[in-house]
Amino acid sequence: MSLYDIIFYLFAAITILSGFIVVTSKNIVYSAFSLLFTFFGVAGIYVLLGADFIAIVQILVYVGGILILLLFGVMLTNKITNVDIRTGTIHVLPGAVAVGVLMGLLLSAMVWTEWKTQPSETPVTTTVTLGRLLITDYILIFELLGILLLIALIGAASIARREQE
Amino acid sequence: MTSIPMEYYLVLSGFMFSVGIVGVLIRRNAIVVFMSIELMLNSANLTLVTFSSYLGNVTGQVFVFFVMTVAAAEAAVGLAIIIAIFRNKLTVDIDKINIFKW
Amino acid sequence: MYQNSTEIFQMMPFIIIGAGILLSIAVEMSIKKSELILPWFSILIFAVSAVISIAGIQQESVLFGGMIAAGGKAAIFNFIFNVGAALVVLNSVDYIKKYGTYYGEYYILVQSSVLGMMMMSGAKDIIMIFMGLELMSICFYVLAGINRKKFSANEASMKYFLLGAFATGFVIYGIALIYGTSATTKIDDIISGFNRLITNPLFVAGFIFLLIGFSFKIAAFPFHMWVPDVYQGSATTVTGLMSTTGKTAAFSVFIIILAAIFSTHSINKFTPYFAAIASLSMLYGSIVAISQDNVKRMLAYSSIAHAGYMAIGLAAGNISSESGIIFYLAAYTFMNIGAFGIVSIIEGENDTQLGISSYAGLGNRNPVLAAFMALFMFALAGIPPLAGFFGKYYVFIGAIEGGLTWLAVIGVISSVISVYFYLRVVVYMYFREPQEEIKIYSDNLSLSAVVVSGLLVIIFGLFPDTLLNLITSALIR
Repeated sequence: MSLYDIIFYLFAAITILSGFIVVTSKNIVYSAFSLLFTFFGVAGIYVLLGADFIAIVQILVYVGGILILLLFGVMLTNKITNVDIRTGTIHVLPGAVAVGVLMGLLLSAMVWTEWKTQPSETPVTTTVTLGRLLITDYILIFELLGILLLIALIGAASIARREQE
Repeated sequence: MTSIPMEYYLVLSGFMFSVGIVGVLIRRNAIVVFMSIELMLNSANLTLVTFSSYLGNVTGQVFVFFVMTVAAAEAAVGLAIIIAIFRNKLTVDIDKINIFKW
Repeated sequence: MYQNSTEIFQMMPFIIIGAGILLSIAVEMSIKKSELILPWFSILIFAVSAVISIAGIQQESVLFGGMIAAGGKAAIFNFIFNVGAALVVLNSVDYIKKYGTYYGEYYILVQSSVLGMMMMSGAKDIIMIFMGLELMSICFYVLAGINRKKFSANEASMKYFLLGAFATGFVIYGIALIYGTSATTKIDDIISGFNRLITNPLFVAGFIFLLIGFSFKIAAFPFHMWVPDVYQGSATTVTGLMSTTGKTAAFSVFIIILAAIFSTHSINKFTPYFAAIASLSMLYGSIVAISQDNVKRMLAYSSIAHAGYMAIGLAAGNISSESGIIFYLAAYTFMNIGAFGIVSIIEGENDTQLGISSYAGLGNRNPVLAAFMALFMFALAGIPPLAGFFGKYYVFIGAIEGGLTWLAVIGVISSVISVYFYLRVVVYMYFREPQEEIKIYSDNLSLSAVVVSGLLVIIFGLFPDTLLNLITSALIR
């Protein structure tokens, strides 16, 4: 077992275990913090896959942005309402069975499919290629993304704003 | 690059995706449901990066970049909606909230 | 790069709407009385964009480096989106005045959602579909909760947001699997390799995830749980927009990604899936709508049923069912916008006067409004010679050609069931005495939007062949 294998299994274990805790924990703060470990685990796997830029963006956007927003959400709503921070679960069994069947099929398809690809190239930095693609082939989507972010900010401000009396 | 076969990464992301779906289906708290959705998005991103690096095709990573940005925008809107709900709940009867039933 | 003047012409709708959004933001920031400008400006850009789209229907071209197609069926979809949105904006002016909650963001968000829809219906790259979908959805999440002081609107927004984000998860995972198995995101490449790829189980799985994600957006049966609450809780004009143009955009994506099945006669492996959601949605929507007393909720269940009728066309998967779906979408958009327009006129402040009893005696008190409501109800029920009838007729013909006669029979049965609850509104309007005092606000602009929708429904019903030939010629090219 090479070092790569050990790192992969380590990150995979972190990701899956913390993902389970996110979903099953009764305490919403525990859920949020295990989500942090999931994001880090996924970032580690990105590095293993040679996606250096994406790994950094994963940490910046997910950990630095989305997770912080979620924690703000947890804290704000908790303070305003003083509701019990523990949260319950509903219809566990039918959901789990349906998802189990679906995923069993999906996973077996993944394992049985013959992949023609060769996993043996030396990793090269992808940042330059990515940047070039973003402003050539995908320039329209990149611009749209700007509009989308602007609209999302306007919308978020509009919904969350206090009423001016 | 590594000796790990591609199927391992795919199975890992498949597991994450199903954990996310289970979370959406069984949890009642809006914020936890949203966290589960983030798990689903992360697993989809992981699948994309896996394919991208094994196919030697960077398009997948471009798409992951877009997905992350959109996820951030969605998180902002989601947080705003949660704040609006809890602001109104101060003045509205607490028992009236039936949002988590479906 | 773009020496060709047709391409610049074809690009104009996107540029007009995109620039219009930015200009509207500037107006909203700098001018105090923006509520007098923005609705008319929105209607202007929608109208110009609709006219340019439909004028370019004859030439099909691919723009922005192979990202977006314009002309052909995309032109028809753009026309539906822009005219529908213009009518909704016209309808909104009075509605917003009635509620006394003017937010300039409203019109900006409507414009952006239309931009997202146009991106979806012309997409040539799966990433484009995703971006358009998200732009549209994020605008709709906010629009659903735009009356932020109203708790039911907050609740609707929350529910729509969570279910919408859940659907997005499916869409992205499906796209990831399709990308992995086909090694491309270009829709044309996927379509040309469709017969080879369809043997790969993981490709099929990816496709099914994508279909599930969009089934949420069209509000088909097992994925409909958000529809009644969201349609009821949102502002009525917003519901009119979401239930018509939003649904049309999602169907346009189905048509794009299933192009291999529709035009090159690949085997439709997804017939069982579509047949299941179609039959279940039709029956569920029609049966549950019977017991609804709130008109908005009734129309929500009716919209589930209509998604079912259109999904019949997807199950059949041939060229005549494809043009049938597009015809149906055009007809459904205008009859539903008209119906929601009337609901928004009758509606009082704070969600009052939404029950069916508020429509009692409308035939005497306001004969024009009652006549148009009756027109839309007959059209939605599919009574000839109105547009709704021909929509159903063409889709059913496509199903019979595709060997799915049983599905068409279920469609006819559920249409018969649905006549009951549509006609119930008509019966209330003409044959019941009003129980309560109903105050109807003066709504000349809303009424003009309703009249335009009504005229379109009648025109589509009187000349269905002309429209169908236009659609078919756009599809075959």
